[in-house]
Amino acid sequence: MSASDDQHDVETVLNGNISAFEGIVRRWQGPLVNLAYRFCRDRGRAEDMAQEAFLRAFRGLKQWRREASFSTWLFALATNLYRTELRRIPARTVPLEDIVEPADMRAADGGMEDRDLDSAVRRAVAALPAKYRDAVVLFYFHNMDVKAAAQSLGLPEGTVKARLHRGREMLRGKLPRLLGVPRLKEAQ
Amino acid sequence: MTHSLGHGEDAINVVLSREEEILPSSGFAASVMSAVQREAAAPPPIPFPWKRALPGLVVAVLTLALLLVAAIVGIVQLARMPGSGPLSAPLPSVLTSTLELQRNAGSAVTWSALALLVAFVSVKFSTYMVSDRT
Repeated sequence: MSASDDQHDVETVLNGNISAFEGIVRRWQGPLVNLAYRFCRDRGRAEDMAQEAFLRAFRGLKQWRREASFSTWLFALATNLYRTELRRIPARTVPLEDIVEPADMRAADGGMEDRDLDSAVRRAVAALPAKYRDAVVLFYFHNMDVKAAAQSLGLPEGTVKARLHRGREMLRGKLPRLLGVPRLKEAQ
Repeated sequence: MTHSLGHGEDAINVVLSREEEILPSSGFAASVMSAVQREAAAPPPIPFPWKRALPGLVVAVLTLALLLVAAIVGIVQLARMPGSGPLSAPLPSVLTSTLELQRNAGSAVTWSALALLVAFVSVKFSTYMVSDRT
C-alpha cells in the first residue's frame, strides 16, 4: 500500500472523478473490515460498519489534512465510527464476571488447544469495559504499536498505555491460569 | 514501530497477535462503490434558510422580551396597588388578582384578538418559509 496512491486517488476524487475512490476501497477494505470484526465479532456487521466508514471517508475527504498519513486519518475515522456503533448496539458478549476459566487447561497431550485458549481470551477481551477493550483491540490491530493505537483512538500515548496496562491486568485477573504462567508448548 | 509494555511476550501477546484475518466478501468493494455513487448523486442537503428566518427570529425574540417586560411591570404594579400584599405575596393570590384585573378590564377580547393575530402571522410566516421564492 502506497501513501502516494492514496494521495493521488484522493486528489482525483476531489477533482470530480468519483470512481477513483474504488482504489481506496480496494486498498483498505481488508484492514477496515478486520478492524470492525475485532470490535464486533460478527462478519456481516463488520462489513456494514466498514461500508459506513468508507462512506464517511468519502464525505469527509476534504477534511483530510495532509499532515497525517491517509491511513492514520482513515483508521481514526473508522475507529470513532465503530466505537459509536458499539455504544449504540453493543456486541453480544458475556459479562466479564461471568467468564469462567476452563478447568482442564493442561491436557496430557501438551496443553489446551490453541483455539480454546484464543476463544477464552477473546471473549474476555470483548467483555472488558469499553475504554480498556478499545485500547487492547487497537494495540493488537496495529501490531502492538502504541503510537498508532493512540492516533486511531485520538488519545495521548500515555493514556493508551495506562488503559492497556489496566486492561491486561483485568484479563490476567480473569484468566490467571491461562495468562499468568507460561504454557507448556511455549516453555519447550 | 513496536513497543514493549514491559510484560514480555506473554500469553496475551501470543494469543491476540495471532488473530485470524478475515477477507471481505467478493462483492464488498462493489457494494461500497454503489453506495458512494448513490451518495454522490444525491442532491446536497438543503441548508437552513438563515437569511429568510432571521426577521422572524428577531421578531420572536423581541416579542418574548416585550412580554417579559410587560409581565414584570404588571406584577410590580399589582404589588403597588392599595390593599394588595407585598411583592413577596404567595403566587396564587397574585395570579388570582391578575385574572380579576383582566376580567374587569374586558381584556379577554384583547387577548383573543392577539392570539388570533399571532396565529395568523405564524401561518403566513410558515407559508413564506416553505414557498419557493428566493
